Amino acid sequence: MLNYLLFIATIGSIYGLLALSLNLIWGGTGMVNLGLAGFFAVGAYASALTTTTGHMPILAGWVLALIVGGAAGLVVVLSTTRLREDYLAIVTLGFAEVVRLVASNEIWLTRGTDGISGIPGPWRVALGREYFNAVYLPILLVVLLLVYWLMRRIDGSPYGRALRAIREDAQVAQVAGKPVLRFKAQAFALSAAIAGLAGALYGHFTSYIAPDLFLPLITVYIFLAVASGGVGSPAGALVGAYLLIALLESARFFVELIPAVTAVQRAALKELLIAVALILVLRLMPKGLLPERIPRAPLVGGKP
Amino acid sequence: MNRLAIGRRTALLSGVAAVVAPAVLRAQGEPIRIATLTPLTGAGGPYGPVMAKVAAAVVDEVNAAGGVLGRKVQLVSEDDQTNPDAGVRAARKLIDVDKVSAIMGTWASAVTTAVAPLCWESKTFLCTVSGADSITLLPHQGYLVRTQPNTVLQVTRCGEFLLSLGAKKAYTLVPQTPFAQRSIEVLGETMKKAGGTHGGQIYDDKKTTYRTEVDQTMRFAPDAIFCAGYTPDTIVLLKDLYRAGYKGKIIGQAYAVNQKLIDQIGQNEVVEGVYTYAPSVAEGSTALERVKKMSGLANPDPYTSQVYDHTNMVLMAMAVAKATTGTAIKDNIRKITQGGGKTVDNAVDGLKAIAAGEKVDYTGASGPCDFDDKGDILDCKFRYEQVKAGKATLVKVA
Amino acid sequence: MTLLVQALLNGLVSGALLAVPAIGFTAMFAVLRFPNFSVSGIATLGAFAGYVAYGAGLQIVGSLAVAFAIAGAAGLFLDRAAHMPLVKQGALPAAIASIASGLVLENVVRLLFGNDMRGYDRPIARDMRIGEVRFNPQQLETMAIALAIMLAVFAALAFTRIGKAMRASADNPDLAALKGIRPQRVAMMASFVGMGLVGMGGMLLGLDSSIDPLTGTRVLLSIFAAAVLGGLGSAPGAVLGAFLIGIAEEVSVLVVGSQYRAAVGFFAILIVLSLRPRGLLGERAF
Repeated sequence: MLNYLLFIATIGSIYGLLALSLNLIWGGTGMVNLGLAGFFAVGAYASALTTTTGHMPILAGWVLALIVGGAAGLVVVLSTTRLREDYLAIVTLGFAEVVRLVASNEIWLTRGTDGISGIPGPWRVALGREYFNAVYLPILLVVLLLVYWLMRRIDGSPYGRALRAIREDAQVAQVAGKPVLRFKAQAFALSAAIAGLAGALYGHFTSYIAPDLFLPLITVYIFLAVASGGVGSPAGALVGAYLLIALLESARFFVELIPAVTAVQRAALKELLIAVALILVLRLMPKGLLPERIPRAPLVGGKP
Repeated sequence: MNRLAIGRRTALLSGVAAVVAPAVLRAQGEPIRIATLTPLTGAGGPYGPVMAKVAAAVVDEVNAAGGVLGRKVQLVSEDDQTNPDAGVRAARKLIDVDKVSAIMGTWASAVTTAVAPLCWESKTFLCTVSGADSITLLPHQGYLVRTQPNTVLQVTRCGEFLLSLGAKKAYTLVPQTPFAQRSIEVLGETMKKAGGTHGGQIYDDKKTTYRTEVDQTMRFAPDAIFCAGYTPDTIVLLKDLYRAGYKGKIIGQAYAVNQKLIDQIGQNEVVEGVYTYAPSVAEGSTALERVKKMSGLANPDPYTSQVYDHTNMVLMAMAVAKATTGTAIKDNIRKITQGGGKTVDNAVDGLKAIAAGEKVDYTGASGPCDFDDKGDILDCKFRYEQVKAGKATLVKVA
Repeated sequence: MTLLVQALLNGLVSGALLAVPAIGFTAMFAVLRFPNFSVSGIATLGAFAGYVAYGAGLQIVGSLAVAFAIAGAAGLFLDRAAHMPLVKQGALPAAIASIASGLVLENVVRLLFGNDMRGYDRPIARDMRIGEVRFNPQQLETMAIALAIMLAVFAALAFTRIGKAMRASADNPDLAALKGIRPQRVAMMASFVGMGLVGMGGMLLGLDSSIDPLTGTRVLLSIFAAAVLGGLGSAPGAVLGAFLIGIAEEVSVLVVGSQYRAAVGFFAILIVLSLRPRGLLGERAF
C-alpha cells in the first residue's frame, strides 16, 4: 500500500508541474494552451532520446527537455502572432496532434508507436523497485518546489504584475508601454519549458514513453486540475493536481462497491463518476479551492 | 477489483468472516490473487470485456473444484483504458494494493511495454496478447510470456497461405500500430521470395471512410489484400472494398474478421470468401469448445482463447511450484506447458493430475502454448478459415 | 488524375456529412459564445438514438428525427445544468466543462450498449461508374439527406421568427434584447437545434460505417476544424469549412499518406487564419 501511495504521489507531483506550467500562462497571462500534452511529449522524447540513443547523463536530458520544450513553445507562440489571440487555443491543440503524429510515424527518430523503453532512472538499478520510488519522489518534490518558488517570485514581481495587466487588458498594457508581445512570448516559452521538464521527469520515472501517452485527455485533466484548484494561484494549481490524481485513483475503489454490473459497466461508471465530479467542482466552486489573491502593487511614493 | 471469483453475497460473508476470524485462520484461508488488465474502454473496448469474463469463468471452475493448493483463487479485473498511463496506474494498484502474483491479458503493445517493467521489477508474472516484436526483447528476466505469435511469424504464414492460393500481387492495408511497418516489410519479403510483388499503405484508423485508400489500393491491382487492422476499421474497409468492386482475395486476422464483424456488416456477399487466420491447436481440441461455452460466443476471438490459456497456465504453474508468487510461476510455467506428460486442456484436470504427482503438458485453446526462452510461442500451427454464407468455415489447420 | 478527381469526389461526400454537425457547433458558438466540445458525446448519442429508432422499424428520415430530438434534449439539459452557468466566468471554463460532459455521454452510451460495434442494417450496394470515376448511390443518398438538412437550416434561419431572432442575437445580443428578443429563449433554442444537428450528423456518419461509444470522439477534431476554418459562428462558413476539410483529408491520403490526416486540417487552419484572421467567411455571416 505504501508503495502505491508513493507512486500516486509521484504521478500527482508530475501533474502538479504540468498544472504550474498551465497556470503560468492561463492564470498569469490569460493565454490558452490546449497543447500542453504536446510540450509534455516534446520534453519526454528529448530527454529519453538523449539518455538512451545519446548515452548522455540523466541531468543533461532534463536540461535539454527544458530547452527543447521552451524552444517549441517559442515557435508555437511566434507562429501565431498574426492570428487573433483566441486562435492560439486552436493552434496549440493542433500542435499537440502534430507532435503525436510525428512521434507515431517518424520511426527513425522516435521509434514510432513502439515507443522508447529502458529509459534510465537515477540509481534505478542500484536501488531496486522498492527504494527507487522513495528516492525519486523527493527529487521530484525538490524540482516541484523550485518551480513553485519561481512562480511565486514571478507572481509578486513587477513582471508578474505586468503579465496580469496584459491578461486583464492587453491594449491598456500596450498603451502603458509594456512590451506585450515579448512578455507573452517569454511567459509562454517558460511555461512550455516547465511542461517539457515534466515530460522528462515522467519518462525517467516509468522508464517508457510512447505516443499514446500524450493523448489530449492529459491536457483536459490538467485544465480541470487548475480550474478546480483556482486559476491564477500556483498553490491552487498544486492542490488541484493532487486532488485530481486522488479522484482518478479513488474512483477505482469506489466502483468496486457498486453491485451487479459487468466489468465494462463498472469501467464506464468509473469514467462517468470522474467526469461528473469534475463538472460539480467547476460548478460549485467557480473560483476554485484556493482562489487567486492578487498582491497589491506598491503604493505610489512608497519604496519601489 | 471485481470479485468475480465468488458471488457477491459469499464475498460479503467471507469478508465479515475474515474480520471476525482469528488472524491465524485468516492466513490459511487467504485467497490467491491474480488479475486481468484488459481494455474495457478506449480503442480496445470491443475485446477486453469478454477476455475478463472468460478469465473469471476459469477461476470459478477451479474454485468449484477446490481451488489451488487448498486455497481459493480471487480474480481482480482492472481496466487499462487502452492507454499506457492509465495502464501503469492500474498495474501499480494491482501489484501494490492487491498484491497479485500474475497480471494477464494486456492487449495494446504500448500498454504491455509500459506495464512490463513494473512486473519484472516487482516479480509479478505477466501474460500478454500483444503482438509487437519488441515486447519479448525487453529485459524481462523471464517474467513475461505471450501467446500471440510475433509479427514476423504471423505475417510470414499469412503470405505463405496467400501464395498457396495462387496470389501474385499482394497488398497490405494496416493501421498505424507497432506492427504496421513490419507487417508491410514481412509480407513484401515473403511475396518477393516466391516471385510475386507487393504494395502496402498505413492508414489512420479513426477515419469513417476509406474510399481514397481503397482507390489507391485498386490502382496497384492486387489479386490479394491483407487487411491487418482491428474490427471497427476493418468493417469500414471491407464495405469500401466491396463498393469499389474489388473481386480478388481478402485475408484478415481472425481477431478482426470475427462473428461480430460479419453480423455487423449484415450482408453476406460483402464478406463472402474472406479468409481469416489465427494460431491454433490441432483440430478437435476440446479447449476451444470450453472457451465457446464460457464466453457464450459461437466463434470467440483468439484473444479470448489466449486469456483462457493464461489463466489455466498460471494456476497450474502455481500448483507445480507449490507456491503462489510471481517467481514461482516464472520458474515453473514451462514445466506444465511443454516437455511431455499428460495432455490437459484445462486447469481443473491439470490440477488433479499434478496433485496425483503426474507431469502435465498443457495444450490450450489458442495453440499448444510452448514457449521459447524469450517468452515467445514456438512455431505453431495456424488455423485458416473462410467466410461462407455468413459463417466462418474451416479451410485447413497447418 | 482520375485518382485526384476521385479523391475530390470522396472529399465532397465526407465534407457533406461533416457539415451538418459543424453547422450545429458553429451556431451554438454564435449564440452561446463558447466552443461546446460535448459534440463528441452528443454525436455518439444521436447515432445510437437513431440506431434504436431504425432498429424499431422507422425509416431513415424518421430515425433522423429521433436522433435530432434526443440529442437536442440532452444538449439543452447539459447546457442549462453544466455549461451556461460557467460562461459568466469566460468561454474557457464552459469549454472545459463541456469536454467533461462529452465524457459523461460517452460512458452513458457505454453503460447502456457496451463497447460492441453496431451497424445500421442497410443494404450495401456496389459503386456506379461514370468513365473512370466511381460513386456510390447510397453515399450519394446520405449526401443528399445532408444537403437537405442544410437547406432546411438555412431556410429556417432566413425566414422563421426564431431563426431571425437567433441571427439577431448572434450579431448583437444587446440590440436584440432591446428589440424584445428574449435572450434566454434564443439561447435555449440554439442549444436544442445546434445539438440536434450534431446528433443527426452523428447518425449520418454512422450510416455508412459503424457506431460504438467512440463514434463522436473520432470526428470531434474534424468538426471543430471545419467550424474554425469557415469562421467560428458562421453557418455558411461551417459548410465551406467542412467541404474543405473533407477534401483536404482525402487528397492528403494521396500526398502524405493517411496517417498524417489530422495534421492536414490544422495546417489548413494555420494558413487560412494567418491570411484571414476571422476565418474564410468571417464570424458574423450567420
